[in-house]
Amino acid sequence: MKCGMCHREIPERLPDAASRCGSCPGGCRKVHCPYCGYANPVMPKYLKKLVSKKSDDGRE
Amino acid sequence: MFQKPLKESAESREPKIILVGSPNVGKSVLFNALTGAYTTVSNYPGTSVEVSRGHATINGCRYQVLDTPGMYSLMPITEEERVARNMLFSESAHVVVHILDARNIERMLPMTIQLIESGLPVVLAVNIMDEAERVGMAIDIPLLQEKLGVPVIGAAFARKRGFEELYRAIDGFDPSVRASFGYAPDLERDINLLTEQMQGEYLVDKRSLALLLMQRDEDIHRQVMAVEGERYAGIEKSVSAIVFDRRADLHLRISLERKHVCRGLLDGVISQHTGRRTPFAEKLSTLCMRPLTGLPILLVALYFGLYEFVGGFGAGTLVDFLEGTLFEEHLNPWAESLGADYLRWEWLRELVVGEYGIFTLGIRYAVAIILPIVGTFFIAFSIIEDTGYFPRLALLVDRIFKWFGLSGRAVIPMVLGFGCDTMATMVTRTLESVRERIIATVLLALAIPCSAQLGVIMALLSEVPGALVIWTACIVMVFLLIGLLASRLMPGEQPMFYMEIPPLRLPQFRNVLVKTLTRMHWYFLEIFPLFIIASVLLWAGKISGLMDGLIRLMEPVMIALGLPLQTAAVFILGFFRRDFGAAGLYDMQTSGMLTPVQLTVAAVTLTLFVPCVAQFLMMQKERGWKVSLLIFLFVTGFAFAFGCLLNYVLLEAGVLA
Repeated sequence: MKCGMCHREIPERLPDAASRCGSCPGGCRKVHCPYCGYANPVMPKYLKKLVSKKSDDGRE
Repeated sequence: MFQKPLKESAESREPKIILVGSPNVGKSVLFNALTGAYTTVSNYPGTSVEVSRGHATINGCRYQVLDTPGMYSLMPITEEERVARNMLFSESAHVVVHILDARNIERMLPMTIQLIESGLPVVLAVNIMDEAERVGMAIDIPLLQEKLGVPVIGAAFARKRGFEELYRAIDGFDPSVRASFGYAPDLERDINLLTEQMQGEYLVDKRSLALLLMQRDEDIHRQVMAVEGERYAGIEKSVSAIVFDRRADLHLRISLERKHVCRGLLDGVISQHTGRRTPFAEKLSTLCMRPLTGLPILLVALYFGLYEFVGGFGAGTLVDFLEGTLFEEHLNPWAESLGADYLRWEWLRELVVGEYGIFTLGIRYAVAIILPIVGTFFIAFSIIEDTGYFPRLALLVDRIFKWFGLSGRAVIPMVLGFGCDTMATMVTRTLESVRERIIATVLLALAIPCSAQLGVIMALLSEVPGALVIWTACIVMVFLLIGLLASRLMPGEQPMFYMEIPPLRLPQFRNVLVKTLTRMHWYFLEIFPLFIIASVLLWAGKISGLMDGLIRLMEPVMIALGLPLQTAAVFILGFFRRDFGAAGLYDMQTSGMLTPVQLTVAAVTLTLFVPCVAQFLMMQKERGWKVSLLIFLFVTGFAFAFGCLLNYVLLEAGVLA
């Protein structure tokens, strides 16, 4: 996924239990960008299906 | 990392081509074209990161080709980048092909410098040239090659352009030709000090290692320790002294030095075709970051994004329809009549369809008031986010934030605070010093309203002429005043801020839609059960008389604020959830219970009022009991004192009367 702040490609891994903010009932749904710290929401499964894959050379 | 394996298999004796570059620059397109169908994908040892390997035959020579995970610099942050660097530093490549996007050559060239600096056999492939040419950008490849001292090819691998040049560059690669790039004398002195102390044998150039040591790269420290043995203590001592001397700006200096080198390299290399003017996006990008033009642009974005769209359309038109028409005229009367017919017990009827009923209050608040406001806020937020405006905002406010002892980096938690202050409080940990974290936490707790609160307040106040101006002036004044005071009370060093600026672009419909739906999905799932629980608690409070007791307890404060006694319930709800409190205020206003002065005082006090329970718990987690309790008490006292003062001033001045 792409970070909403710095627009860098970031791994879509949710933070481990110790580094979660714990404010969301039902678990963490934010991926913090390792480069700038911005919190990006994780796409729900049904939305993932709607998003087509991006080609590797950066073109849609 | 620095030693070759003792026994080499036939495959490992094959010369290696390593493909490296940022994500989405065309590495995999090149990898597939080089290797064909027969490739293997396996996890890099000890990690979950996948690495692709294959083979290519160029001019009769068989090469092993490795596709590395995307990386932005040789200073790794993610596990993927760590793996990519390990591969570069340990695989003894015949050639490292650095692929970059021609359109973003200025942002990506610093990594080429790092690769060359490390002594790696680099071939630079400037990919996606076709797109760059389409926007009028011309890159003088031979001149860049001459300046860099490594083979450079222009390519559009997806269009099958540049392969022949690449094959020739790989086949005829001469590792003896290599340029070196000089930094400022003081930085060179530090680099030399460390390289002279490193006496072991390394596969990577010592200059590159020295820079990574200075940036406190733990992996490199471990490797140098392993190679140097007893000499490491002296190296570590020198590194600590350099890091201490340059504690304010070391990373920034190194980044700026590389940028400076890249600017020199690209001077005369990039040009726009005659007849084509500077792209509008570039002009606008510059204007966004200059104070004289950036502030008006910010105000325009706030006016149309927040005031008109969220306040006017979301909290006005949509809430009027959902709350006023759908719930008040149709759903609530229908539910109440069903309750009267089928719910025989008074307490149960009250619980479901009463004053604080699950349906008549909890569901109505969540669906008819908060959801449309938050939904429109998320649309505006996602549009602004997708354009790449936020990093520019960070640079714009950097100098203002420096007055508060913060840097532009604090824009990230502040911007996130408009979504949810709890999560934003956690993000303050990304700020460099404890001082910055405390100041940002105080400002978040005091003067940054969350999205729903902001939307409701905008909708309420926009109906009273002058009220929104007073509210905005109060919040901005408090933000500046407390920020300045906090930075004076907690003196410390001026933080430095540096951020890569992504290209400014038109928001893409799909991105905005997906981001908005994602945020709304999670937000609604989060608040819906909480609003139900809140209405049950309110019902229980009403039945048991506890709510009345709490309201009576707050009576003197409400009198001092000049507010009706029922407003106490709004503040109690606001502590439970900020958005629930704001929805309560909306209810009071639409019932005609507040005068314009009372509405303004209540809105300002509620905005400044204590953070909600979740935010308080996060403050405690991040800052500890002592600091968080102090912030809590200060914010509570300040909010009510400011509210009383505002009430007094408005009444005395006869404003909004």
